Amino acid sequence: MEAVSVKRYRRFERVIEFWRAYSRTRLGLIGLGILLFYTLMAIFAPWIAPYDPKARVGGSFEPPSAEHPLGTDEMGRDILSQVIYGTRVSLLVGVLAALLAAAIGSAVGMVSGYFGGLVDDLLMRITDLFLVIPGLPFIIVLSVVLGPSIWNIILVIAIISWPSVARLVRSETLSLKERLFVQASRVSGATDLYIIVHHILPNVLPIVAASMVLTITSAIILEAGLSFLGLGDPTKISWGTMLYFADRQGALLSDNPYYIIAPGIALIGIGLAFVFVSYALDEVVNPRLRERER
Amino acid sequence: MGLRAYVARRTIELAISLILFMALMFYVFRLMPGDPTAMLIEETAFTSEMREQLRRMWGLDRPLHEQFVIFMKNLLRGELGISFIYQKPVADLIFGRKMLNTLALLIASHGMALLIGMVLGVWAAWRRGKVLDIASLVWALVLHTIPVFWLGLMFLLIFAVHNKWFPLSGTITPARDYAHVLEYMGDYLWHLALPAATITLIRLGGDFLIMRNTMVSVIREDYVTAAIAKGLPEKIVVWKHAARNAMLPIVTLAGLDMATVVSGAVLTETVFSWDGIGRLLYEAAIYRDYPVLQGLFFVITLVVLLANFFTDLLYAYLDPRVRYD
Repeated sequence: MEAVSVKRYRRFERVIEFWRAYSRTRLGLIGLGILLFYTLMAIFAPWIAPYDPKARVGGSFEPPSAEHPLGTDEMGRDILSQVIYGTRVSLLVGVLAALLAAAIGSAVGMVSGYFGGLVDDLLMRITDLFLVIPGLPFIIVLSVVLGPSIWNIILVIAIISWPSVARLVRSETLSLKERLFVQASRVSGATDLYIIVHHILPNVLPIVAASMVLTITSAIILEAGLSFLGLGDPTKISWGTMLYFADRQGALLSDNPYYIIAPGIALIGIGLAFVFVSYALDEVVNPRLRERER
Repeated sequence: MGLRAYVARRTIELAISLILFMALMFYVFRLMPGDPTAMLIEETAFTSEMREQLRRMWGLDRPLHEQFVIFMKNLLRGELGISFIYQKPVADLIFGRKMLNTLALLIASHGMALLIGMVLGVWAAWRRGKVLDIASLVWALVLHTIPVFWLGLMFLLIFAVHNKWFPLSGTITPARDYAHVLEYMGDYLWHLALPAATITLIRLGGDFLIMRNTMVSVIREDYVTAAIAKGLPEKIVVWKHAARNAMLPIVTLAGLDMATVVSGAVLTETVFSWDGIGRLLYEAAIYRDYPVLQGLFFVITLVVLLANFFTDLLYAYLDPRVRYD
């Protein structure tokens, strides 16, 4: 009992220490603030959005007005409401795709680094191949073959995002397995699986989490690109599908350019927030960078 | 390891990657329900003779491993099948006008981005820590998060719709007679301006950051200090001594980054209806033109694999330390 509570206290202390270091970075706080804003918008979309995003509530391509701050689309639907609802798809795709990529990448990286030899060679060849294959063409091909649905998009983005995680985890595992506590565990008869789960995994998690932040950003931008090409989930409103319809229905030449401008600003905002957070995390997690010169 | 051994090892690795890649493609294009010809039936342009021909070409009546060998042979020979939509061999579609259009777009935009990025990077590194340096760092971060297709749409909105300075789409003005070849080229460049500017601006962020960061570390080298101590003018030290040595990483990364280059081309060409390879890929996806999709994906990845391979070799040749890892 005593040992457990001490361990728990240590963990708590580490979280506090982490937060102290993190909150010293101004960019990190700004990024976190913007992310909080987006998350609240996604969760409370039905209460925040002034209209049903799929209902006709005005004329076609109405310019911004008091009733419709960002105007309406070709079917007379409210743009602001669509942008608010679009947050849901972007965050869902970004977070789930990054989680899946982190899971695949960690598994491959730990197995590759821990066992080495032929397993390592084979897995790394495959990893390198996936790193080289051009991302967008590959997800275009995959989503055509698998069909358009939000779950397929998440899967496809994860398939092209895991290799960089695998590389990162592998190199970390290589150094971890030479450490004394791992050696000691092996000598005392622990199985490989036990060592990987109890000693390697907890120690690679921080860098995996830090790398996930950037994966989320690229996943969100990839989803937008795929949807912009008309290969997204047509039943869901996302910023990418909005831009697809805006482009297709001639919003460029219409009275309401905000149909195009707004989803892009939303994308840039969320992307910047994640970049800021990742920059701050780098500074906290990676001690070598702490005294980095500018 | 000498250069020769290094080349041999990289060549073997390239061959393994290529075989793995073709196995992946073989698998992906057979993920579709039924045999690969089954879903073509709904295509109106698709006759039963064509289906028979495809079945024979892909060897679909044979065991799976033989199918794979046939698949590989066809790809490596450049027999990529016939497009459903264009009714032309896929290889002819890819290696023609469309390829030239894409090359023009990519060379123009990446050349510009590289040039401007290098100059700005050198300049920012020399004045590091000053307001303008920090401002340009933030700006580079912002550029990093702008979706390329959205920037393209913004350019269209500003420079083609509001101010009618540039055309909305295409590579040349349709049905226009040209009195002179220069007139044709002028029209082409006029159409090229916006898509090229879009990619240039997006790439600029990354190129700038790499150049700046390399320069910052090069500036601290002893030979730069020595050059300054000798009393050489600042301009000469910056450009002749430091910048020259800081150029290697940015040039190498340009070669290794072919995958992103291709992705950007697909989206940009779609926004501007630029008649290139990227737009062809988009059309093939929308109209389910499987032979084109498959052939194009193969060619694009092959180009990227080869670009990586040659960049690695070039790097090993220029920097002998690479070979001894």
